[in-house]
Amino acid sequence: MSALGNLTAVTNWRSWAVFRRNALVFLRNWRTAVIPPAMEPVIFFVAFGIGFGGFIEDLNYGGTMINYATYVAPGLIAYTGFGTPYYEALYSAYVRMFYQKTWDGILATQVELPSVVWGEILWGAVRGMVNISIVSLVIAAFDLLGVVDVKVGFLVFLPLLGFIAGCAFASFALIFTAIVPAIDHMNYPVFLIGWPLSLVSNTFFPIEPQSQALWALMQVNPVYQLAECARGLLVLGNPGSHLLGLLGSTALLLVPCTLLSVRLTRRRVLGD
Amino acid sequence: MTTAILEARDLTKSYGDRVVVDHLDLSCRRGTVLGLLGPNGAGKTTTLRMLYGFVPPDEGTICYDGRRFSENRAEAKRMIGVSTQDDSLDYDFTVAQNLLIYASYFRPRVEDLGGRVAELLERFELAPYADASPHVLSGGYVRRLLIARSIVHQPTVLFLDEPTTGLDPSARLDVWELIDGMRADGLAIVLTTHYMDEAERLSDELLVIHEGRNVVHGEPHRVIDSVLGDHVIIVPRAEPAREAIAAWLRDRGAEQVATVLGELRVPVSKEDLAALTARFGEATWQVRPPNLDDLFIALARRNGRSA
Repeated sequence: MSALGNLTAVTNWRSWAVFRRNALVFLRNWRTAVIPPAMEPVIFFVAFGIGFGGFIEDLNYGGTMINYATYVAPGLIAYTGFGTPYYEALYSAYVRMFYQKTWDGILATQVELPSVVWGEILWGAVRGMVNISIVSLVIAAFDLLGVVDVKVGFLVFLPLLGFIAGCAFASFALIFTAIVPAIDHMNYPVFLIGWPLSLVSNTFFPIEPQSQALWALMQVNPVYQLAECARGLLVLGNPGSHLLGLLGSTALLLVPCTLLSVRLTRRRVLGD
Repeated sequence: MTTAILEARDLTKSYGDRVVVDHLDLSCRRGTVLGLLGPNGAGKTTTLRMLYGFVPPDEGTICYDGRRFSENRAEAKRMIGVSTQDDSLDYDFTVAQNLLIYASYFRPRVEDLGGRVAELLERFELAPYADASPHVLSGGYVRRLLIARSIVHQPTVLFLDEPTTGLDPSARLDVWELIDGMRADGLAIVLTTHYMDEAERLSDELLVIHEGRNVVHGEPHRVIDSVLGDHVIIVPRAEPAREAIAAWLRDRGAEQVATVLGELRVPVSKEDLAALTARFGEATWQVRPPNLDDLFIALARRNGRSA
């Protein structure tokens, strides 16, 4: 299949059949699948936003003074929007591919490999949407309590933005899923890439780039763009140029990562 | 004779410098079983993976119902069912849901899917476990479910990759009955197995491959006859004339003198058997018809492998 064919497989019924399979499993186990992972950003919010934030002075964001909890709230959206699809495509996809041999069974049907990859990407992105929705509810509750001051109405846009960026994060993770020799080796993409990326993308603290290279790097980082997009919406009611930045950086990551994931997964699963 | 529903010509596949499948031809007709045999590393798995569409051949063509696989991939994949050697059941679903979810990976959709699933659960004696996890199934029933799943979309060609490996004798016989029933339904079945009795009993045609090449092909008894001849004599370890018999047979041109656990096993012609009886009338030996085990050992030795 051509590169274009690998990319357009996202529209194919086969990709959505794989997505549907994962969604059905999720719906069967939704309590265990949703509550523990969704609690993580909530705990982060309470610990950093409220606890740690008590020691930090208000910040100026786009001309508006905000407390640290308000600054962190959109950061947690980005943290969740990155972490959920990234870890879903790392661990859960690996289990389906390697231990459960679910992919082997699926590939013995009319479903082709690019659709399996797309099914995992779409599912990871939707999982991100679900968890962002939960975090958004928590932020809305804290807004009611006066802990944060955000434009609550804009929270409804965040799951959609999370889905868009989540596709890129899941496709990025699938590269590692295809190449790690064993599940223990997932520590490399988790601790050397996932954690640093989710912490230094204007999620928990602002970064002032000291060089043009660092500035350019931040512009092509969808986690940064998602954080700033969410922050622009929730604080100012306007994502500004970060909406375009999010779309651009997502495309920049998604296209090569999907093509590479298909290539590497083909080698790993089909031995070709 | 009906035309082949599956026809592959000149299949060739290499990995690096190693030719794994080398200009292999095979075909399978509706209502027949093609037994694909060969020692480990012979190229069976690679051949199957090309036929499923997992990997493309470097050379050669694969046709399903007269149409090229490479040009009609989706239609061809709708026609084939695959029961893999490894257990690839979806353990996140129940037994019945495994059939339902698998059917969702095919278009056009299976008509009256509920009825089809109920029929398969009954036929494969899985109905009592319909709502249970596959985890509760024994090895034999896991294999039943794998086979039932592979035909849920009513394919016309079925690939069974070592369907009885690891099963007890009773469960093996049950799977044999199921395979025989599916053949009677008109399915074209490609079967790989390491059990020679299974291949001999179930296959209408055999294709034995070694180092990726077709070594011998045809109906089982013709294949055996063509390679081995009329009889196999077995000289026990304790027979004092054992070595003398082996030397005498070699002198008469016997190439396939095998020793299995100290016993001498040699395929012989009617004429050789008569001469042997005249020459070693005092010795003790058994005579039986040759079978696929003998063939497999003979081919392995002919190709320089230890039996």
